[in-house]
Amino acid sequence: MMQIDRTITLLKQGKHITEEAVYSLCLKSQELLMTEANVTHVDTPVTICGDIHGQLHDLLTLFDKSGGVEKTRYIFLGDFVDRGFYSLESFLLLICYKLKYPDRITLIRGNHETRQITKVYGFYDEIMRKYGNSNVWRYCCEVFDYLSLGAIINNNIFCVHGGLSPDVSTIDEIRAIDRKQEVPHEGAMCDLLWSDPDDVEKWSLSPRGAGFVFGQNEVNQFLHTNNVELIARAHQLVMEGYKEMFDGGLVTVWSAPNYCYRCGNVAAVLRIEDDLQRNYTIFDAVQPQDGVGNAIIPTKKSQMDYFL
Amino acid sequence: MSQRPDNKKFTRPEGINTIQIDAARQMHMRTVQARIPGGGTTTQSSTSQYKIPQNALNGGEPRTITTGRMFSAPSRSPPARHICNNPNNPPCANCGGVIIPSPKAFLPLEDRPSISINNWTISSKKRPILNAEELNNWETKELRGLGALPEMIFGNNFIRIMNTEHKWGIEFNTLDALKMVSLSDSGIRVAHSKVWLDSKLQQQQQDIMGDSSSIDMENSLKIVKNYDWTYSTEYEGTVVGDNKDTYSFKVDNNLKLPIDKLSKQDKILYFDEMVLFEDELADCGVSMLNVKIRVMNERLLLLCRFFLRVDDVLLRVYDTRVYVEFDDNVVMREIKKYEGNYNDILAKHHISHSHDPKAALRDSNWVAENTPIVDKRCEIMTFNDLKQ
Repeated sequence: MMQIDRTITLLKQGKHITEEAVYSLCLKSQELLMTEANVTHVDTPVTICGDIHGQLHDLLTLFDKSGGVEKTRYIFLGDFVDRGFYSLESFLLLICYKLKYPDRITLIRGNHETRQITKVYGFYDEIMRKYGNSNVWRYCCEVFDYLSLGAIINNNIFCVHGGLSPDVSTIDEIRAIDRKQEVPHEGAMCDLLWSDPDDVEKWSLSPRGAGFVFGQNEVNQFLHTNNVELIARAHQLVMEGYKEMFDGGLVTVWSAPNYCYRCGNVAAVLRIEDDLQRNYTIFDAVQPQDGVGNAIIPTKKSQMDYFL
Repeated sequence: MSQRPDNKKFTRPEGINTIQIDAARQMHMRTVQARIPGGGTTTQSSTSQYKIPQNALNGGEPRTITTGRMFSAPSRSPPARHICNNPNNPPCANCGGVIIPSPKAFLPLEDRPSISINNWTISSKKRPILNAEELNNWETKELRGLGALPEMIFGNNFIRIMNTEHKWGIEFNTLDALKMVSLSDSGIRVAHSKVWLDSKLQQQQQDIMGDSSSIDMENSLKIVKNYDWTYSTEYEGTVVGDNKDTYSFKVDNNLKLPIDKLSKQDKILYFDEMVLFEDELADCGVSMLNVKIRVMNERLLLLCRFFLRVDDVLLRVYDTRVYVEFDDNVVMREIKKYEGNYNDILAKHHISHSHDPKAALRDSNWVAENTPIVDKRCEIMTFNDLKQ
């Protein structure tokens, strides 16, 4: 426990964590996550958070603005890594909290918590840059395989990263999935992490040729069958931080402000009270500075060049 | 902003808190100051036009800039003749240095950098991605029919080149670019599409045999909304101004942009670069439209580039270059299109010292250099040719 506290302090300062320390953290969190169900039960009050994408300083703001893990229960809907410059620190901070307060934090797998995606979208590169080898990336990917696929709050609100799957009509069917693997390219597990809501009449194929989009009918059907009132998901950028759809039957929560350090969007978290009331907290991006006041996030500033 | 337990839904408070305005002002001040070469802390003049008296320019040495600069200044500066139209433009060489518009000055302030040379005025604007209201308007009106819009739409961004004398200009904006995205099936599929579809069909067979009918799978494997999900756009800019119909480009494929003139390291008086839209194609690649401009004393060059990478499938670069020679009032537009198979192009990347051999495929310059050219066109406009 002492070691976890020390690591948390280091992480908050964005300091280097040794490979051995990461290995030990990853091993411990695997043991812990292994015991969790595919769909975890969570009690209210709880705060639902969307994509983080390695924006550590914004994650710290998130905890700051929403009560902090000492006092508040959290569900994170996945996509902790990639895009931002501090994927490792963000993910490690979350698993440290998970180890320290196992019943106060639930981590759901996002489509970026996979080997294939992290190799392309930044997390792998970040590890290579910070460690010179890919060991730490491998340890983290092994933790990804144990993350839950969803959560259910008071038997009333279903939480998932992407959306619904035509292969899943009841939450029990999700419980039956063997989740401890790399996210496959098809099937229920893939759909839960990848699919998007849209204004379509019924299940339809994404024009990309893989993946589903679902509409209000599918949402209503799912809500009715499972006797829940809301699907809370993340996965899509929203300028306002959250977006309710289908008469409030589905909400997208987005928690990475100024996404990719240039979108200018705000972020939100959704707190569910004991009476299931929904309260959104909106927050802005921070411009973190080092001790002498220099910005430490490399902003993507226009670099003047003699292009041809 | 804090939680508001009294409301079921969060609503934005009316108006803006003074503290936020103050913070925004300070941020704006910092950004503006950061743009002044030499990190100057002087407050800019608040006049709307910042014109330098000619005698200050011609007499004596040109003012030297003390801090390290990215580019060496030419040995002899030409007489300045341009006007900075926005007091927040950092002063230019003759009035002090290089103009680099700020990427971050927004909310609630808006920065609209602009410069004039002869009868040409160049301006640009950068804002955050569209908000829900704007997005809804585009979805339901402006771009109805286009399925899901790109994830990041910088819909208020633009670069505009205007000839004030002839009331003719060309601008690059997001909406017009997206209006050119095809509303039919592009035929392009992500790499794992076949595997994915096959598995669904197989499952369907099993369902029929087992007589379980959870959902109508055959129907669900159809694409309901057809549109080009790669957002490929052949946008070449929008002609604007009162006389937009008076003058026209004439195609002349024998022409070439004057690379010698454009290769000269003439001092850049105005530079801006912006993304108009970007989509990560559900993590199957990238689709991005980007535009940048550099303005020198005698000419300008603008490059609008559409870059598409569908991982393991294809690469595509559509370049539109606009070149203006100020003294001759000549405008040239060159269109080049490159397209090729992803793996063929990856194979050209022999030397891979990097741990990430695919990094090159994220670099649109490298891709443009290594992808076969499939189309090329060059056009010219002088204000002499009136449209029929």
